[in-house]
Amino acid sequence: MPATAATPVQARSQWRILLNHLRRDQLAMIGLVLVVVIVASAILAPVLVPHDPNKLNVRHRLKGPSVEHFLGTDQMGRDVFSRVLMGSRIALQVALISISIAGSCGLLLGMLAGYGPKWLDGALIILFDTIRSFPTIMFALAVVTLVGPSLNTVILVVIVTSIPVYGRIVRTQTQALRNNDFIMAERAMGAGPARILGIHILPNVIGPLLIIASMDIPVVVTIEAGLSFLGLGVRPPTASWGTILNDGYAFIRNTPWLVIAGGVPLILTTLGFTFLGEALRDVFDPKLRREV
Amino acid sequence: MPATNAAHRHTSIVRWVSIQRVSAVAVCLILLMAMPISPLLAETNILRIRNYSDILTLDPAFTKSKNEDIINECIQNKLISYKPGDEWGWQLMAAESMKQVDPTHIEFKLKPGIMFSNGFGEMTAEDVKYSFERIADPELKSPYAEDWSVLEMVEIKDKYTGVLVLKKPFAPIWMTSLSGISGTILSKKAMMSVGEKFTTTPPASSGPYIFKEWKPKQVTVVVRNPDWKGPKPDFDEIHFYPIDDEKTAEIGFEAGDIDFTRISISSLEQYQANPPKNATIVNKPSLYYSWMGINAENPMLKDARVRKAIQMATDIPSILEAAYFGQAKAATGIIPPGLLGHRAKTMVAPTADPEGAKKLLAEAGYPNGIDITLDCLNKSTIVTQAQVIQASLAEAGIRLKINVHESGQFWVLGSEKEMGEKVKDIQLITNRFSSQPDPYWYTMWFVTDQVGVWNWERFSNAEFDKLHTEAAVETDPAKRDAMYKRMQDLMEDAGCYRFITHESAPIIYRNTIVPAMSPEGIPLVRYFKKA
Repeated sequence: MPATAATPVQARSQWRILLNHLRRDQLAMIGLVLVVVIVASAILAPVLVPHDPNKLNVRHRLKGPSVEHFLGTDQMGRDVFSRVLMGSRIALQVALISISIAGSCGLLLGMLAGYGPKWLDGALIILFDTIRSFPTIMFALAVVTLVGPSLNTVILVVIVTSIPVYGRIVRTQTQALRNNDFIMAERAMGAGPARILGIHILPNVIGPLLIIASMDIPVVVTIEAGLSFLGLGVRPPTASWGTILNDGYAFIRNTPWLVIAGGVPLILTTLGFTFLGEALRDVFDPKLRREV
Repeated sequence: MPATNAAHRHTSIVRWVSIQRVSAVAVCLILLMAMPISPLLAETNILRIRNYSDILTLDPAFTKSKNEDIINECIQNKLISYKPGDEWGWQLMAAESMKQVDPTHIEFKLKPGIMFSNGFGEMTAEDVKYSFERIADPELKSPYAEDWSVLEMVEIKDKYTGVLVLKKPFAPIWMTSLSGISGTILSKKAMMSVGEKFTTTPPASSGPYIFKEWKPKQVTVVVRNPDWKGPKPDFDEIHFYPIDDEKTAEIGFEAGDIDFTRISISSLEQYQANPPKNATIVNKPSLYYSWMGINAENPMLKDARVRKAIQMATDIPSILEAAYFGQAKAATGIIPPGLLGHRAKTMVAPTADPEGAKKLLAEAGYPNGIDITLDCLNKSTIVTQAQVIQASLAEAGIRLKINVHESGQFWVLGSEKEMGEKVKDIQLITNRFSSQPDPYWYTMWFVTDQVGVWNWERFSNAEFDKLHTEAAVETDPAKRDAMYKRMQDLMEDAGCYRFITHESAPIIYRNTIVPAMSPEGIPLVRYFKKA
């Protein structure tokens, strides 16, 4: 009875701790606000955009901020504000899809490595380390060269380079849990590996994984923007913060608002997710702070 | 206790004095670092030129960029060189006279008294023979061997006189092989002394300046040649700074650290509106040519009407406005203004005609438009071009998907050797080449032999090939002019090309100097003077 009653109380108390933490930690609160604004603008972007983000109007190129164009126009006369809003969709789309897939694969492989036979653990660790030995951007450039630039390529690159990170974390957690008393007891009662992994280990490892994943969102957003800045990300004319930055770079001295328009959302997204991720980590898994 | 207090006060005073001294030194250092180098250098009569890349070798047989030729022209000699000004032409440099004896013989006579540095003696016809035949020698594997492929031999008549004997007449020889990097004359003796090889330190120089030093990625310095017998150069030293990025060069110029640099097209409008003090801005037509290629062998584009519809639907003025900020003119072909063969206008008007394009597509059996792809390089200007093309083709119902590639991937797209049959999958492609100032070097990439090499449009026309061969040996300028114009008509009429622009080469320089430039704005630094 006490054990069953503890779960909702514990969950409620954790949320209360989080709210208290947010109230006390101003950075965390700023992070939360930023994340809410960014996610809301990404979701509502098609409704919020005042102009077609891909519509060219060369005669009105490089116009400064005005009532008609809040953030001015780019070298092709496109409305920069609309492109920034649509760019937020691309950034979050890449981040959420790739981190979800990479997190799921990392979870599965990490649990197999941590709970499975030693040879499987060894093989997976070699695989993880091999992938991790490539610098992400260099690896991304190589893949883009081979298969061509597109949104799918960016997502593929992020998935491949992130799986080892998540896999290693889950493996460590699984190894720590596999010899715990309650797992030994389950095993003694005849529970198979699938049941042990699914019912007992998974709920214990998923928390830290989610915290790490939330803190990885800005990293992925930056990778997407970086590749798009190099012209190797999304396919033109799709708006991305990286392409807006690249477009703006050519005019940085005369028309700096383009770079500002592409750079500020990138900075705010990075800060927002980082502050919020750190708050989540501090509340839900203070031990992980040291590990991270 | 008083003794202790005094000692303590003394220590404090010493510490305070030390802090003051350290602070004073730090302030001085900061002031020194913040000070632009120009006022210091202005006293020493140094000309500072920005090059877009660092040197890799000054051996004319293996130079990698125009920058190396720019430096070589200061420290070495050619028989003739490009004439500064707005019209392409040549002038005598080391030669006292040049004479076309007949279509296959050119006689030259060197100016007496041109000395090589480091004690390698006077320049003779033997040095000319050595320099030209060395590059032509297939064993050397010089990338410039093609420049001298028609050279049979250099016949020496006396110490200063010789005759270039050609295998066949070759009209481009004056404006490319002789005036370009391949025409550089090295000292045979000096080359023998270093085993006929050198990279960044030439064994001997013969120009008005001699090589002093090269600091990798920082500066290349040449200084006045004390043995130079010609007109005394105006500068004690010339510093060549390798600065890749034009925006950085602009900042360098404004800070007073550079006297002459090319600037970006995107900054030109701003500079013209607010020119920096004591500076001049000029905008020169470049030798680049930029076009959209249409693959004649792609199944979707085999029908010439579809290709012509694409030509017709592409709006060139919009491309020029968006990608070149209205600072470049529409191209009329591949040959730029100022060269033989430049056409006055295109066959298809530069402004798009979407209705005409729709009509042609309907006639070809595509009343609902077509879906095609365009491959381009991941450079800002080129991606902008591609997006404007996409928008203008959409007006005619042509739905375009853009494939952006990084350079390593892009430059093999049309190569059969690298890509095999996949080269036929290319549909549209935007491309950009540069060339030496003779039309021969412009048309050579579009002959049938180049299909699957550099002719990615897979354009093949027997009359074009014949004219290319004949124009190379035609010495009558009027006839050559007509031939090259006809060749560009054939290219355009085949529907394989939509000519975009020759771009432009904006330059800024300080009014304290009088620069000398080729018509495309390449600095001819040895002829620079003080104002």
